[in-house]
Amino acid sequence: MAVVRLDKIVKRYGMGGPVVVEDVDLTIEDGEFMVLLGPSGCGKSTTLRMIAGLETISGGTLSIDGRVVNDVPAKDRDIAMVFQSYALYPHMSVAENLAFGLRRRAIPNAEIDRRVKAVAEILGLVPLLARRPAALSGGQRQRVALGRAMVREPQVFLFDEPLSNLDAALRVNTRSEIIKQHNRLGSTMIYVTHDQVEAMTMGTRICVMNAGKVAQIGAPLEVYWQPANTFVARFLGAPPMNLMATTLDGARARSMAVDAPLSRWSEAALVPYAGRRITLGVRAEDLSLERPAGAGIGKLRGRTVAVEPLGAETLVLVALDGETEITARLPRQVMVALDQELELFFRPEAAYLFDAESGLAIAPREDAAAVIGAAVQRRAH
Amino acid sequence: MSQSAVLDAGLRPGTEPQDPARRPLPRFFGKGVLAVVLGLYTIYTLGPFLWLATMSVRTTAEISAAPYAWPTVFRWEQYRTAWESGFAVYFWNSAIVVVGAVVVVTLIGAAAAHALARYRFRGNRLIYSILFSSIIFPPQITLISLYQILVDYNLYNSLFGLALVYISLQLPLTVYLLEGFFARIPQDLFDAAKMDGYGDLEIFWRIVLPVGMPAIATTLILNFIQLWNEFLFAVVLITDPDKRTLPIGIRAFMGDHFQDIGMIATGVMVSVIPVIIAYVFFSEKLIRGMTAGAIK
Ligand SMILES: Nc1ncnc2c1ncn2[C@@H]1O[C@H](COP(=O)(O)OP(=O)(O)O)[C@@H](O)[C@H]1O
Ligand SMILES: [Mg+2]
Repeated sequence: MAVVRLDKIVKRYGMGGPVVVEDVDLTIEDGEFMVLLGPSGCGKSTTLRMIAGLETISGGTLSIDGRVVNDVPAKDRDIAMVFQSYALYPHMSVAENLAFGLRRRAIPNAEIDRRVKAVAEILGLVPLLARRPAALSGGQRQRVALGRAMVREPQVFLFDEPLSNLDAALRVNTRSEIIKQHNRLGSTMIYVTHDQVEAMTMGTRICVMNAGKVAQIGAPLEVYWQPANTFVARFLGAPPMNLMATTLDGARARSMAVDAPLSRWSEAALVPYAGRRITLGVRAEDLSLERPAGAGIGKLRGRTVAVEPLGAETLVLVALDGETEITARLPRQVMVALDQELELFFRPEAAYLFDAESGLAIAPREDAAAVIGAAVQRRAH
Repeated sequence: MSQSAVLDAGLRPGTEPQDPARRPLPRFFGKGVLAVVLGLYTIYTLGPFLWLATMSVRTTAEISAAPYAWPTVFRWEQYRTAWESGFAVYFWNSAIVVVGAVVVVTLIGAAAAHALARYRFRGNRLIYSILFSSIIFPPQITLISLYQILVDYNLYNSLFGLALVYISLQLPLTVYLLEGFFARIPQDLFDAAKMDGYGDLEIFWRIVLPVGMPAIATTLILNFIQLWNEFLFAVVLITDPDKRTLPIGIRAFMGDHFQDIGMIATGVMVSVIPVIIAYVFFSEKLIRGMTAGAIK
C-alpha cells in the first residue's frame, strides 16, 4: 500500500534562485503507474528526485501513505529508483549489485540470496550473475538496474527515463517487461519520460508537465482527446495538433483560410468570445481532402509547401494565409503536388477551441461527450 | 562523459565494453620501427639498473677488473653483509615513515578529494585553489620554517615528525589528482547508493574508494616512490644515525665504504627493490583489472 501525494510542491535552487518546479499537486494512487511527461528541462527529474529524497523540497508537502516525508532521508522512504544511466556499481558483480541494497537492511544472508536468485530468474539474469557491468550489453545493464530495484521490494518504484539509452527494438521489449513487472507486483510506480509513445502505452495516468508546472493530469486517451490547453494539445500526438488563429463569428471560427462551424460548443460557452480571437485546433489525422457527409463540416484552404510520403500515409504541409502552416495526414494513395491549391475538411467533433490568450481549452457542451465517444470508437477499431 | 573505462563500466549504457584508450596505431609506425624504438628505450633505461644489479653481487675487486662483465659467481652474501652493517635499520626506518605517511596521505587525501569533488559548501573552490597553489611552489621554501616548528614541538630528529612533514608535503598533489578523478564519478552512482540505504561515510568506503582505485593506486605509487627516495627533508630533520632513512643511510654508507663499489651497489639495490615491488603491486593496469574486470 503506498499512496504518494504531492501537495503544492515547489523546488527552487538556492535562495532567490529560479523556481524549477512550481506548485505541483499530484496524487499517485496505490498500485498506479503514473507517467510524468514533458519536454526536456520541464522539471520531471527534479520532481522525481524530490519524491526519492535525493533533492530537498523547497515548499509544499510530500506524503507517502499519509506520512509527511519532506525531511525523511532517502534511505528511510522505502523507495527504489532506476536511473537513466543505470548507475550500476562498476566494481561489483551483477549479484553484488543486486544484493547491495539489501545488505544495509538487517536482512539475513540466506534471505538476500533467495531474493537475488528469484529476481535474477524473473529477469533472465542468472547466467550473468558473476559478471561485472562492464561485460554487459546495454539491455542487460538495463535489466540489472530494474532487478536492483525489484529485490528491494519497495513500496514505490521510480524510473527516470530508463529506456532512453536503448535502441528502438530493445526499448519496446523493455517497455513491456516493465509493464509486466508492474502487473505482477502491483506496486506504485512513477515513471519519467519525454517520449509520448512511452507515456501513452505505459501509464495508467499521465501527468503532463510544462515549465515546472502541471499542464494536465489524466488517463492517456483522456489527455489525448481532451487536452486542457494548447501545450498538451501539441505535446501529445505526432505530428502535433494544428493550431490556427481565428475569430469567433457567431457559431463559427473564421479566418481568411478557415471556416469551421462549432457545433460541439453550446452558445453559452462561446458568448464570452463573440467577435474575439480564438484558437482553433484540428489534428493532422482528422483532415481529409474529400468532404465528409453530414452537416457542420469545417474547411481550410491553403497551398502545399511540402509533401512527405511515408509509405503507410502521406504527410502534407499546407500554408494557410499568412504564416500559419498546418500538417495533414492523408491516405497514401492521394496525389498532391507542391504549391498546389488545396481544400481540407474536418468533421465537427474533430475541432478544438482554446482561449487565444491563456491557451486553455474551451470545454465543449456536456452531450459532446457522446460525440467524443463516437470518435474514440471510430478510431480505436 | 568521462574518459575512463572503469567509470563508464556501469554507466554508459548501450555501448559495448571497450577501452577508449586503445586505438590502432597509425600505419607508418610499422611494427618493426616500433619494436626498435622500444628496444632502444628499454636498453637506455634498464641498462644502468641491470649494471647496478650485476655489481651488487660482485666484489669490488671483480668490478675493477672488468666493470661491465656478467657475474661469474653470484655473491648473494653481500646482501646479508649490507643488511647487517646498518641497512636493516635504515630500511625499517624508511618503511615505517614512508608506509605510515603514504597510508595517512591516501586516506586523508581521498576523503578531502571526495569532499571537494562532491559536496557544495562555502569555500570549496577557495580551499581547492590554496591546495593547488601549494603544488606550484617548490617544497624547499618550507624547509627552514618546518625545521623551526619541529624543534618547537619536540618533533625534530624523530621519525614521527618526519612522517608528519612527509604527509604535509604529499597531501596537496594527492588531493589534486584524486579530486580530478573523483569529480568524474557520475552523481547517479552516489544517488543509487543513497537509495540503497547507505550514508555518506559508507558511500565513501564502498563506492568512492573502490571505484577510485585506479587513481588511488597512481597516487600510492607516486607518493611511495617520492618519499622512499626523499633526501633533503630527511637529512635536515634527522641527525640520529639510528633514525636514518635509506637515502641518508646510503650516503653515510658511501662515506664509510667509499672505495667499496660492490658494497655500495648492494646497498643501493636494497633501497631500490621496494620501489619496484610497490610499482608491480599498485600499477594502475593491475588495479584496473582487479576492480573493474574491464580488461579483455
Ligand atoms: N542543481 C541545479 N541547479 C540549478 N538548476 C538546476 C539544477 N538541476 C536542474 N536545474 C534546472 O531545473 C530545470 C529542470 O530540470 P530537470 O528536472 O532535470 O528537467 P527534466 O528532467 O524535465 O528534463 C532545468 O531547467 C534545469 O536547468
Ligand atoms: Mg530529466
